[in-house]
Amino acid sequence: MMEGVGDVIEIESLVKTFGPTRALDGLDLRVRAGEVHGFLGPNGAGKSTTIRVLLGLLRADAGAVRLLGGDPWADAPALHRRLAYVPGDVTLWPNLTGGEIIDLLGRARGGLDPARRAELLERFDLDPTKKGRSYSKGNRQKVALVAALASDVELLLLDEPTSGLDPLMERAFTQLIRDEHARGRTVLLSSHILSEVEALCDQVSIIRAGRVVESGTLAEMRHLTRTQVVADLDSAPMDLAQLPGVHDVVLNGHRLTAQVDASALGAVLERLAGHGIRSLTSSPPTLEDLFLRHYDEAAG
Amino acid sequence: MTSVVADRTASSGWSSQLTGTGLAIRRILRADRWFWVTWVLILWSFIPATASAYRSTISDDAAGREVAAALAANPTMRAMLGPPFDLLTVGGFTMFRVGGFTAMMAAIMAVLGVIRATRAEEEVGRTELLRAGSIGRHAMLAGALAVAGSASLLLGILVAISMVVVGTPGGGALVMGAGLALTPIAFAGVGACAAQATASARTAREIGLAVVGAAYLLRALADAASADSPGRTLRWLSPLEWAPLARPYAGNRWWVLHLLVALAAALVGGAFAMESRRDYGAGLRAARPGPAHAPAGLSSAGGLAWRLARGSVWAWTAGLAVFALAMGSMSGVFDAIADEPSLVERFRRMGAGAQDLTDAFYVAMLGILAGVIAIFALQLAERLRREEAAHRDEVMLATSTSRIRYAAGHLALALIVPTVLLALVGALLALPAALRDGDWGVLTRTVGAAVVLAPAVWLGVGIFAAAFGWLPKLHLLPWLVVGWTLIVSWIGAVLGFPQRLLDATPLAVLPQLPAESMSWPPVLIEGALALVLVAAGLAGYARRDLG
Repeated sequence: MMEGVGDVIEIESLVKTFGPTRALDGLDLRVRAGEVHGFLGPNGAGKSTTIRVLLGLLRADAGAVRLLGGDPWADAPALHRRLAYVPGDVTLWPNLTGGEIIDLLGRARGGLDPARRAELLERFDLDPTKKGRSYSKGNRQKVALVAALASDVELLLLDEPTSGLDPLMERAFTQLIRDEHARGRTVLLSSHILSEVEALCDQVSIIRAGRVVESGTLAEMRHLTRTQVVADLDSAPMDLAQLPGVHDVVLNGHRLTAQVDASALGAVLERLAGHGIRSLTSSPPTLEDLFLRHYDEAAG
Repeated sequence: MTSVVADRTASSGWSSQLTGTGLAIRRILRADRWFWVTWVLILWSFIPATASAYRSTISDDAAGREVAAALAANPTMRAMLGPPFDLLTVGGFTMFRVGGFTAMMAAIMAVLGVIRATRAEEEVGRTELLRAGSIGRHAMLAGALAVAGSASLLLGILVAISMVVVGTPGGGALVMGAGLALTPIAFAGVGACAAQATASARTAREIGLAVVGAAYLLRALADAASADSPGRTLRWLSPLEWAPLARPYAGNRWWVLHLLVALAAALVGGAFAMESRRDYGAGLRAARPGPAHAPAGLSSAGGLAWRLARGSVWAWTAGLAVFALAMGSMSGVFDAIADEPSLVERFRRMGAGAQDLTDAFYVAMLGILAGVIAIFALQLAERLRREEAAHRDEVMLATSTSRIRYAAGHLALALIVPTVLLALVGALLALPAALRDGDWGVLTRTVGAAVVLAPAVWLGVGIFAAAFGWLPKLHLLPWLVVGWTLIVSWIGAVLGFPQRLLDATPLAVLPQLPAESMSWPPVLIEGALALVLVAAGLAGYARRDLG
């Protein structure tokens, strides 16, 4: 693995236990400067615990954690000037307005850009004069997002930031993160929404039961996974299953379904051509397939 | 427009609005059973404790009768505890010494209990899940009132039974029990109305407790007024006075209790009417928009701590100022009784043996005020715990705010504001006397006497901080210490607790100026202990896991 200069987050063999529960069980995670890194896993896998360790809210039981070149536990206040955090479940002070909260958090971090603040309020269509208690879940999340994005920071830690946003606002969010990426900011985006990670992230780490089970670019991960081929044919190819790299062949009348390794796709298509293809779909693995593969393995 | 829509739904039938009340009652019982059980048992326990201590306080001879007469004539006692009607029977004596106090505490219980099951649940959004199910608009309120009413009845029944068991007449026991049940029932109505009027449980509590405080103050002033003054009749305006005015064991005036029933019915009806007219989650007034930008002061953890505390600081300051001024204005009555040697001796004992009756009065009042201010100090400090429970601390601590600065912001307020308040109530308590006599020296004396009590308040904050930093699960510990202090300074001497217990509170170890002479060691030691606990708490908070 590439070493250091550009690494914003370096976690090695991180362990965190709560009583008898081992929330993080030897987790490794590496996020390079300038990348949007998807941190993928279901609820309870340890995503939030990892982020809370990175924020210095929790102390690591074992393992090495470096954040922006510093120790997230000991150097928290200084490091926090250079990052912004959006929690998954945003709770606001009931009597403060959204605008007041955005200003407070921005100033406490070391200042925020008024023009950027105004632009973000507009893009998220957020009314800053409402009191914290009267915002919906989605609007509470927007307050936290505006507060985070209006500061000039190097790293954004986003913990399931879109779980309360409607589709329109999700699109605005996706566009904003792309802009941040273009400006060279590093983003760690934890999520269980696969399409969101797929749309935004160049690097993905999949976490299961407190460990990262797979990490890499989406392209790399796809390569390791099979493509689903569905074809309607004039005649049935009896010997297809014997080809190397072809799995789970199902023939239903004239319809063939099979899982094909990326390396075997060419050979399969050649063979099918001789059987009169009426229609053919070949779907690359979705992130969901990658994800489920790890979880099915665990279950099976 | 909202009210038009609401009126239409309201007319669709009360029975459907109350659907699910049984479910609501079960839910409240499950969530709040310890709240009610603890309150009812503690309040009830004062009654048999006092009744059985009767003979040790008032002996069955001429001396005993003299003591009783002295108690009945003492304006400090009347102001604190209520009107005496017959101190020569166990029942009448018990009603005087703890009956009025229990009525007031039960009123606080009812206000807090109803709000906690209604507005507090609604504010955090738990009621929404229920309302989305097949449960009517009024079910939670009806359920909360049913539980509060049952707890109040239980208190009344326990009181009546224990009074019969200690051998007092059944009629008096019934009137006493009924009064102590109906007072919290009426104040459950106060809590219900406050919970409907405002969208914030915190504001609702402040409104409800302000009503209790106003009723107590009115009663205290009217009871302390001389018997022939027109001020005395004002006590009929205080619902807290109605249970004593029903005169258990001294006439058994059942009809007075009808006032409580009528008030309860009116308030409960009003609360349901308000609930019909408002939206879910809202108060009576629509939430007003606020500023789009934060003021300059709101830029750090300290600024946030002050902003969050500001409203309650002003509310408590106003309440304490009114209370201190009102109590201070009573100090003149002591001149009138100073000629009666047997009374004088009796009063002195209440006020740490002060030679001057007015000084004794100041000592007694400052003890109560310091206990009440300690509660407020603890509330300010507790904000730290509540912010953490709501995970609002995370977003602040994810900025460049260090943990120490974050926690110190709240703890500094909890130490400084109460100290200023102590000085203020000390000054206001003596202000009427200073104005009357033109003697401003008394002002400096009472301010000094009040500020000397500050270490007791700080100690509560220190215990909170230490628990918060090292063992957050012990968050009830500081409340136990402060609650014990308050009970002892209010009715401890009255209950006849052993002297060692009375002396073992953070307040009692301090010099009770001006009755006692100044002694620095306890002040310095307790103050230092409090600050060490605060520092230890901060150190623990800096190194523990959050959330």
